Amino acid sequence: MTDVAIEVENLSFGYGKTPILERVDVAFPANRFSVLLGRNGSGKSTLFNIMAGLQKYQYGSVKLMGKERSKMSFSDCARVLGFLPQFHKSVFPFQVKDVVLTGRAAFSAFSPKKSDMEKVGQAIEELGISHLADRPYTELSGGEQQLVMIARVLVQNPRIILLDEPTNHLDVYYQTYVLEKLKKLTENDLTVIAIMHDPNMAFLYADQCYFMKDKTVVTPTEAFDYHDSNFLEYVYDVHFTTVQVNNKMMVVPGRKIN
Amino acid sequence: MRKVLTGFLIYGLPIPLLLYSLTVGPSQGLVFADYWDWGKAALNGGIHENSTKVYMLNNIIENVRLPRVLLTFIIGAGLASSGGALQGIFRNPLVDPYVLGISSGSAFGAALAIAFPLLHINVMAFVLGVASVIMTYSFAFSNNKSSIVAVILSGMIVSGIFTASLTVVQYISDPYKLQAIVQWTMGNLHHASWDKLNTAALPVGIGIVGMYLMRWRLNLLALGEQEAKAVGVNPTADKATLVALATLTTSTSVAAAGVISMYGLFIPHLTRMMVGPDNRKAMPANIFFGGSFLVIIDNFSRSLMDFEIPIGIFTMLLGAPFFLFLMKKNKINWV
Repeated sequence: MTDVAIEVENLSFGYGKTPILERVDVAFPANRFSVLLGRNGSGKSTLFNIMAGLQKYQYGSVKLMGKERSKMSFSDCARVLGFLPQFHKSVFPFQVKDVVLTGRAAFSAFSPKKSDMEKVGQAIEELGISHLADRPYTELSGGEQQLVMIARVLVQNPRIILLDEPTNHLDVYYQTYVLEKLKKLTENDLTVIAIMHDPNMAFLYADQCYFMKDKTVVTPTEAFDYHDSNFLEYVYDVHFTTVQVNNKMMVVPGRKIN
Repeated sequence: MRKVLTGFLIYGLPIPLLLYSLTVGPSQGLVFADYWDWGKAALNGGIHENSTKVYMLNNIIENVRLPRVLLTFIIGAGLASSGGALQGIFRNPLVDPYVLGISSGSAFGAALAIAFPLLHINVMAFVLGVASVIMTYSFAFSNNKSSIVAVILSGMIVSGIFTASLTVVQYISDPYKLQAIVQWTMGNLHHASWDKLNTAALPVGIGIVGMYLMRWRLNLLALGEQEAKAVGVNPTADKATLVALATLTTSTSVAAAGVISMYGLFIPHLTRMMVGPDNRKAMPANIFFGGSFLVIIDNFSRSLMDFEIPIGIFTMLLGAPFFLFLMKKNKINWV
């Protein structure tokens, strides 16, 4: 089954006695751009942290390209999966190329090789930020910083990239920029899975959307697809009006339910 | 041009500086010609057949100044590189080796050894320095997690406990011992000897080489724990190794020369101004420039006045205004 990148089966997780995830079943297809949506606190970030290996799990299974996650070492995992966490701040004004270079740390233990530098060059070229290479990371705008962090994940040469809210705090220009680049990455044999908040941006760019509600991943019943306003109302607790724009379904939020 | 200058300051300065420093000292009546004679005699290997002046000078240089200059250099290098490493690990430019409680722990250990001569001063200073770091860490951990704030807060508390204990020891000591304790806590190098150098060289050497090897890993740690995990590196092992190396280096330094505070704080800032924040360049700069700068300070401290100013005090008097000047001039704003 190579067409599934990450398969989560019957996963339950909680901090102490507070359950965060309950019986999650979801399979993310390979070489696609998948987006995970849902309300704050629905468990999206926890599911991501578990898939990325930042959080241990006991009940259920998570398979990366067919291999059980909990049995993989940190560096084995780094060969398969790259992860972009939600918040990243740097105190020290490292140059962009040095920040990107740290993405190779799992492969070159004590000092980076020449091939590592070349990979950095390729990654920032691919994302169109070569002109920023010598700038201090701390002086960049939020959108530029996000692209640098994506480049840092890319230099790992992973098969799967997880991004926790990659478009957060970005203006429309950079949202579009980042999503277009992510979409393009899936053409090069990469699986991209992202958490997003804006359903319309997700509908515009994603190949597939997944929704979390009440600690688990929910799928619309056969009759409705996820553009259906009833289903979205169930997920977000907000009334939606659907509109058709250039053959694409868009939603406009209305009053909140209760 | 700037690059050449910083390159020289870091890598070119140490050797000529060390040689020059051998001629600095309070001994009266030695002129350049004497050093010239000594140099010639030393090269010919005929010091013992030469005049008494050359023989005496040889004694001063070989047994007093050479060990002192070398000890000063490795202590400076050790404190600066430990400071740089700890600032990276804790992602906090306010951290120095003493924040973890090392200095007050060691100072208390040394005071105990001076007041109640049961154990060797160096051993006690080292043991209590390590103990305070272990205490700082164990207090900071709860639920297998520790935040940077918790570590620094816990370090301050541990520091406070040991400082209070030190005061108690001072309070109950007789005046003669009290003087010895106070001198020791001010930091001093005038007891430097081959013995001290031999004791300190190995642990400090291990610490410095270890931190140098980890210099690129430090960049990764400086970006944050989550970010390290995100690219497939478990930062806990790297962090523990670096903290252990920094503790070994610092507590050995404190054992050998007393408390030289702030040195590990401002040298990493100076080197970052010179070569940038990339630890691949900043770490060797900390080692070499850190060593040289303490030798320069020590040269002043033993030649400026008739008496010797304790190095710990002089570092503050000389280093702090210099650092403040650079801070103003460069307008560094830490977010």
